[in-house]
Amino acid sequence: MTFGLGPEEWAALRLSAIVALWCALAVAVPGTLCAWLLARRQFAGKGVLEILLHLPLVLPPVAVGYLLLILCGTNGPLGGWLKHTFNIEIVFTWKAAVLASAVIAFPLMLRSARTAIELVDRRLEEAARTLGATPLRTVLTVTLPLALPGIFAGMVLAFARSLGEFGATIIVAGNIVGETQTLPLALFSMLQRPGGEGGALRLMIISMLLSYGALALSELVARRLRRMVGVER
Amino acid sequence: MKLDLQLECARPGFRLAADLHLDGNAAGVFGPSGAGKTTLLHALNGLLHPRSGRIVLDGEVLYDSSMHLHVPPHRRRVGMVFQDARLFPHLSVEGNLRYGERLLPAGERRIHFGEVVELLEIGSLLERSVQHLSGGERQRVALGRALLASPRLLLLDEPLSSLDRRLKTQILPYLRRVHHTLGVPLLIVSHDLGEILHLTDILVVLDRGRVAGHGRYLDLAQDPRASGILRSSGLLNVLRLRPIEHRPEHGVTLLTFAGAPPDTATVVAPYHDGSDEEIDIALRPEDIALALRRVEHISIQNQLPGEIVSIHPEDSHILCVVNVGTDLLVDITCQAMEMLDLAPGKRVWCLFKAHALQSLALDGMGSAYSHKSAVPELINE
Repeated sequence: MTFGLGPEEWAALRLSAIVALWCALAVAVPGTLCAWLLARRQFAGKGVLEILLHLPLVLPPVAVGYLLLILCGTNGPLGGWLKHTFNIEIVFTWKAAVLASAVIAFPLMLRSARTAIELVDRRLEEAARTLGATPLRTVLTVTLPLALPGIFAGMVLAFARSLGEFGATIIVAGNIVGETQTLPLALFSMLQRPGGEGGALRLMIISMLLSYGALALSELVARRLRRMVGVER
Repeated sequence: MKLDLQLECARPGFRLAADLHLDGNAAGVFGPSGAGKTTLLHALNGLLHPRSGRIVLDGEVLYDSSMHLHVPPHRRRVGMVFQDARLFPHLSVEGNLRYGERLLPAGERRIHFGEVVELLEIGSLLERSVQHLSGGERQRVALGRALLASPRLLLLDEPLSSLDRRLKTQILPYLRRVHHTLGVPLLIVSHDLGEILHLTDILVVLDRGRVAGHGRYLDLAQDPRASGILRSSGLLNVLRLRPIEHRPEHGVTLLTFAGAPPDTATVVAPYHDGSDEEIDIALRPEDIALALRRVEHISIQNQLPGEIVSIHPEDSHILCVVNVGTDLLVDITCQAMEMLDLAPGKRVWCLFKAHALQSLALDGMGSAYSHKSAVPELINE
């Protein structure tokens, strides 16, 4: 059963799913941490940090990709260090695709988690403190569990954004068939090819099905989470 | 509990400057809204950072501005029951109850789960989600949760004010029971005098951010600085009475003062369920009439002989303290005082109707009063 898909197309589909999954996982912890900082802490330079963290949302993805290429190329400051210390190369591998979409999707994760944390009733956190919970334990046992639906929603957004990521990915990961060619890149290549309209149409439909499935699944999980933490809506 | 507190807290538009020394097992904080009651509690549990001052609880300094010391809330072991319960919605009833208990090393748990569950009668709720609890159940769970953290002082911030009167009378006995059985010192904030007096007669009266007085209720009621505030919600006599005879066919129960010798006066109250447990009965000072001798041929059931202890003229009326075996506050008009020519030491009779007696709490739990009176606030189910 190949649904009329060629090996290249299968590879693109698989890679897209894997990259999107890693992207969602990669943004979860730093996104939640920054969201908590912005939602619950006051510190100098908060406004500047807030804008910086939201920058990928408004920057052209190609610009983000170029920036990452400079930073993470084997001669770049970050890439050079990784190469020397761990012998890891990022640029033009599938890891670069994850990195690119994670950076692009980060603000979405941040906004969703932040709203969720801001909506957690601080009076519940106060109650936890009077019951003997340290500030850290309060965050772990009250704030985060109650914000979980929003944190999960942020991860879903990151997953979805990653499925559609094109600009930054093509710059920093390239368009290598079977290695870094995700669905949007494959679709783009197919359209460039003479007589590739049929393939492009198939890829478009696959993209739609994948995105629809992901969103439907996330809605189910989100509903269950909301019931679990007692914010039934 | 030995509490020494001297502090100043400031918030926009409000300032609390309190100086307080409490020694005892329970005290009530009374005052109108905006008096600083909750601010005081939050300074005690550490959620609020006072501007200056010093708080010492049982010899341990919790806060001292001159030493820059502020023990954080989680290390104070000062429990709190909030007005709005604040149960964790993502945990079951048992999860809520055990939240504080789990944070405590096993050796420091002085109050045991089973004991609390039994005292508060919440055994059947343990598996439930807290979303589906009634108001009274929520407050009981909140109380249990605070107790299981084994606090050395329990603060209660208007724990019953969100409940209707019927529920209040059902929850109050739990508070009293918990206090007496587990011996946890408590500080209860309320603007309902009856609620406090059911638990303790030691009061702290707050008014606009200042301590207007603290000490025994009867003394405060006679203290011109504090009595104005106490009066604002209406003074009360709270009598601890023990049933001695039930006469359901006559619709009455005979009671006597708890702890008094058997030959002291009996009080006639509307009949309830026939339980023999002691109950707290509230009697308003303005519902008591004074007479110079026993009055015959009158429907009023209660006539207690006593002696006037003191007389305090207020604006347009007189507050007398009459000892009838226990001190009673009696409120009469100036004209009545002149007519009877009252003075301290004079023998008088205190008259009040059985129906003027209101139960503060239904002690024999589950066995509520079933008086079919038209007075809904009275001891009813």
